[in-house]
Amino acid sequence: MIRFRLHTLFLFSGLLLPCIALAQTPLVIEAALDRQVVAPLLEAFTRSHPEIELDYRDRSTLEVDRQAQRAPAPDVVISSAMPWQMARVNDGLAQPLESKQARDWPAWAKWRDEVFGFTFEPIVTVYRLELARHMLPPTTHAALYRLLVTQKKRLHGRITTYSPTRSGVGYTLFQQDARYSPRFWDLVAAMGATDVALESNTQDMLDGLSDGKYWIGYNLLGSYALRWAQTHPELIVQVPKDYALVMMRMAFIHRDAPHPGAAKTFLNFLLGSEGQRIIAGRTPLFSILADVVGPYTAQRLRDQVGERLYPIPIDASLLAFDDAQRRDAFLARWNREIRILEP
Amino acid sequence: MITINGTLKFRLALWLLIAVGGLGIFLLIEAYTSAHRAADRAFDSQLEAAELTIADAIQWQDGQPVVEIPAAAFQILATNQQERVFYAVIDAAGQEVTGNLKGFVQPAWRKEAKQNPVWLTIPQDDVAIRLHGRELDSAGWESQEPVQIWVGHTLSGRQALASQLFERSLTRFLLMVLLASLLMLLAIKSALRPIRRLRHLLRRRDADDIRPLHAQVPAELFDLAETLNSLFARQRESRDALLRLTADASHQLKTPLAGLQSTSELALQSTNPQTWYQALETVHESAARTSRLANQLLSLARLRHASAQTLESLDLGTTLRDCVMEWAERDIAQHHDLGLAPLPSSPVRIKAEPWAIREMIGNLIDNALRHTPRGSEITLGLERGTDEVTLFIEDNGPGVSEAMLDRLHHPFERAGRQDTLGSGLGLAIVDSIARRHEGVLRVQRSTTSGLRVSVRLSLSGLNEK
Amino acid sequence: MRLLVVEDDPLIAHSLTAALGPLGNNVETFALLSQARAALAHSHFDLILLDLGLPDGNGLTLLAELRDRNDATPVLILTARDGIEERVKGLDLGADDYLAKPFSLAELEARTRALLRRSQQRTDNRLTFGPVCFDPATGIATLHGQALALPRRELGLLESLLLHAGRIAPREVLVDRLFGFGEVGPNALEVYVSRLRKRLTGSGLRIRTLRGLGYRLEEEPA
Repeated sequence: MIRFRLHTLFLFSGLLLPCIALAQTPLVIEAALDRQVVAPLLEAFTRSHPEIELDYRDRSTLEVDRQAQRAPAPDVVISSAMPWQMARVNDGLAQPLESKQARDWPAWAKWRDEVFGFTFEPIVTVYRLELARHMLPPTTHAALYRLLVTQKKRLHGRITTYSPTRSGVGYTLFQQDARYSPRFWDLVAAMGATDVALESNTQDMLDGLSDGKYWIGYNLLGSYALRWAQTHPELIVQVPKDYALVMMRMAFIHRDAPHPGAAKTFLNFLLGSEGQRIIAGRTPLFSILADVVGPYTAQRLRDQVGERLYPIPIDASLLAFDDAQRRDAFLARWNREIRILEP
Repeated sequence: MITINGTLKFRLALWLLIAVGGLGIFLLIEAYTSAHRAADRAFDSQLEAAELTIADAIQWQDGQPVVEIPAAAFQILATNQQERVFYAVIDAAGQEVTGNLKGFVQPAWRKEAKQNPVWLTIPQDDVAIRLHGRELDSAGWESQEPVQIWVGHTLSGRQALASQLFERSLTRFLLMVLLASLLMLLAIKSALRPIRRLRHLLRRRDADDIRPLHAQVPAELFDLAETLNSLFARQRESRDALLRLTADASHQLKTPLAGLQSTSELALQSTNPQTWYQALETVHESAARTSRLANQLLSLARLRHASAQTLESLDLGTTLRDCVMEWAERDIAQHHDLGLAPLPSSPVRIKAEPWAIREMIGNLIDNALRHTPRGSEITLGLERGTDEVTLFIEDNGPGVSEAMLDRLHHPFERAGRQDTLGSGLGLAIVDSIARRHEGVLRVQRSTTSGLRVSVRLSLSGLNEK
Repeated sequence: MRLLVVEDDPLIAHSLTAALGPLGNNVETFALLSQARAALAHSHFDLILLDLGLPDGNGLTLLAELRDRNDATPVLILTARDGIEERVKGLDLGADDYLAKPFSLAELEARTRALLRRSQQRTDNRLTFGPVCFDPATGIATLHGQALALPRRELGLLESLLLHAGRIAPREVLVDRLFGFGEVGPNALEVYVSRLRKRLTGSGLRIRTLRGLGYRLEEEPA
C-alpha cells in the first residue's frame, strides 16, 4: 500500500512539476487596449503557451506611454497612440523582432521590424437612431459640417468627440484630419459652436450616446463602436463615406524587456495566423492580413465601405505629431478655432 | 636531358594573378572608400533636405522661434531605410525650442555651427548617428536671432548602400578578372599555338626525315626553328657522309672480295699445283688487304661517329717513341728503314685522346710503309714551336704529283696509285683525328722528293718552356 | 714446349695449331674459357695464346685469375678488338704481348718465339740467341761454342742485346747499361756497336740500327 501511494505521489508530482516550472515565465504587457475586447486572443495565447504567465495591464494611452519610459520596463507595449509608440521606437526603446511572422508582416504596417500595427480599426461617426427622425444623418465630413451649421440650435450640447488634450488617440485623429483637409478647422469651429462635449475615450462617448446625452459622436474607434452597437440598437455606426481614417494598434517589445523570449513568443502569436484569425473572428479589431478569413478583416471592411479607408501611416511622419511645439501649436489653434464662433 | 620547369601557362597565369591581385587590392580599397563616400554623400543630402524643410517652417512669434515641424521632414530624415531620426531646433540662448535630442548637442558643436555647417558621426546611446547642424538667420517681426537646426539619423541606410555599392564594384571587378583571365587564356593559347604547330610538325616527321622545317613561326621562335634546322642540316651532312662512306666502303670491300672469288674459282678449275700456289699467294695478299681495310673503316667510323671522349694530357714524345718502336718490330717494317728523328729533350704535352693519337701515328707509319718501295727511309719526328708542335713523317719514296697532294686525305684516295697496297683510308683517318684535336694536316713534298705529312697540334698549357 | 690456345674460331684455331706445331710445340686448343680453366688447373703450359671474345666470357677474366694466383705463365692476347682500352687493360692485368686480328702468321711465330725464349730464360740463366750464348753468372760469351774474348763494354752491349733478343734494345737502355749516367758523346754507343758488329760478321747474326730507336740483334736473312 505504501509503495503504491508513493508511486502515485511520484506520478502526480511528475505531471505537476513541469507545469509549475513552465508557468514561472511571466510576461508583462502594458496595453492601451480594452481587456474585454482582446480577451479571446489572450485566452488563446495562454492555452497554447501555458508556460507563460500573462500579466496584462489595461491602461490609458497616456499611462502606457509613461510606463514604457519608466523602469522596470514592461515586456510588450501596446498602444493606440500611434505617434507616441513611434516616438518610443525612435528613442530606441524597442528591440527588433526577427521571425517569419515579422518578415511576412506587410511593410506598410511595421517600422524597422520593431513596431507592428496589428489591428485595422476604422474611425467612425456614431449617431442615435432618433437623429434620423429630425434630420438626414451625416454620411460624410462635409455633411456633418453642414448639419452642425444648419441645425446648430437643435444640436447644441448633443455633439461629442475626443479631447485632443486628454486623449492621445483623439489628438492623433485630429492631427490626421487636419492633414487631409483645411476645412477640418471649419468643422472644429462648428463643433465649438454647438458646445461640443470632449471625452477622453470612446467608451465614455458610447455611454453618453446610449444614454441619450449625445446625438452624434465624432471620431470614435470603430472597433469599440461596432461591438457596442451590436447590443445597443439605438445607435448607428457610420463609416464616413468621403474618407475614413483607420487607426492601428501598435505593439513592440521593449528594449529592456525582462522576458524577451516570452515577449517574442507573444508577438509572434499576435502577428501569426492563429492570433490574426482570432482577431478577425472574435474581436472587432480587424486583422490586416489579406489571407485571414473572419468577419473582422481589413479586406472585408474594404469590400463593405470601398477604398476610402485611410490608415494612419506607420512611418516617420507620425513623429511630427509628437513634436512638442507642433503639439502646442496644434492645440493653440484648436483652442482658438473651437471658440471662434462663440458669441 | 630535358626537364619540365613549370609551364608557360602557369607562369603567365602567376603574373596575371600578381598583377590582378595587386591592382585588385588597390581597386577594392578604392571601391570600399568611394562606396562609403557615395553613401555618405547620398544620405548627407537627405539630412540637408530635411534641415531645409525644417528651416522653411520656422516662424517668429512673440520673440520666440516657432516651428511646426513638417511631417515630410521626418520622412526625409528616416529615409526608406527607416532610420531612427533626431532633430532639434535650438535658439540663440542654446535652449532646445523643440526636438528629441534633449541636450545632446554640445556647446562646442553649436559654437562651430555658428561658423560653418557641422557634420558629425558620433555615438549616441548604443548606436552611431550622423548629425548635421546649421545656423539659420531667420527674420521675425520683433527680433532677428539666429536659430540652429540639428538633424540626424542612424547609419543603417548608409551602411546598406555602401555595402551594396561595394558589392556591385566587387562583382564588376570579379567579372573583369574573369573576363581578363579568359582573354589571357585565349591569348596564351594563341601565343602558344606556333609552338604547338612546331611540335606537331616535328612529331609528324619520320624518324629519318631530316629535311629543313618549313613553318611560319613568330620572331621569338625563329631562333629555335633555325637551330632545329641547322641541327637537321648537321644530321643530314653526317648521314650523307656516313652513307657515302658506307657506299665507298662496300665498294672497296667488294673489289678485293671479287678478286678473291675469281682467283679462287680459277684455281679450283685448274689441276696445276703451280697455279694453285700462285692463286693462294694472291688470295693471302688480298685477304690481308681486305682485313686491313675493314680495320681502317672501323677506325674511321668510330672517329666520325663516336662522341668525343675526355681529353687527357699526354707526352707526345713518349707516345711517338712507343708507336714507332712497336711498328719497327712489326713484320711489315722489316724491309724499310723506319726511324725516329731526335726528340725534344723535355716532354711535349698535349691534350688528346691517347688511342686516337696512337691510331694517327700508326696510320701515318702504315701509310708510309705501304706507299714506298722496299728500302725506303721513313723518319718520324716532332718539331716544337712556341705554343704548338708538329708531328711529321717523311719518306724518300717517289712522292705524288702536286695536284694530288690536296686530295690525299679524302677517303679512298690513293694518289692515283691502284697498284700499291692500301685502301687510301689512312690519311683520311689521320685527317679526322687531326681535326678532332683541332690540329691541321699538311701533305707536302719532302726535301728528298718523297712525301712529307705533318700534323700541327696545340700544346697544352702544362708544357714548361 | 706446351702451348695452350684459347680460341673459339675453328679456322684460326686450326691455323695456329698448324703454324706453331711444326716448331716443336705441343699445342692444345680449347674453344671455351671453362675448358681452358680446367686444363690449367692440372697441367703446366709454357705459353698461353688467349682470345678475348669467347662464348662463355671475356678472356681477361682468365688472365686475371692466373695472375691472382701468381701464375707467371706468359700470355699472348689475340683479339679482333682493336681498341686501345682493351689492350691497355690486358697489359695492365699482366699480359706479356698483344696481337690484333688479323695478324700474319710470321709475326705470330716471331712473337711466340720471343715469349718462349724469355720464359725459358727465367728458368735457365744463360742468354742464347742463335749461335751466341752468354752466361751472366760467369761473364763468358761464346759463339758456336767458342769463347769470345770481349772487352767489358762490348760484353755489356752483347748482354743487353741478348736480353732483348729479336726485339729492339732501346738506345737509352743501352747507354745506361754501358756508360751509367756519365756524360758520353753521341757517337760513343755507335763505336761499341760497330766493334761488336765486326766480331759477329759471318756468324749469321747481325746488329741492325733503328734510327732514333735503338739496335736489334737479329738473324741475318738468308
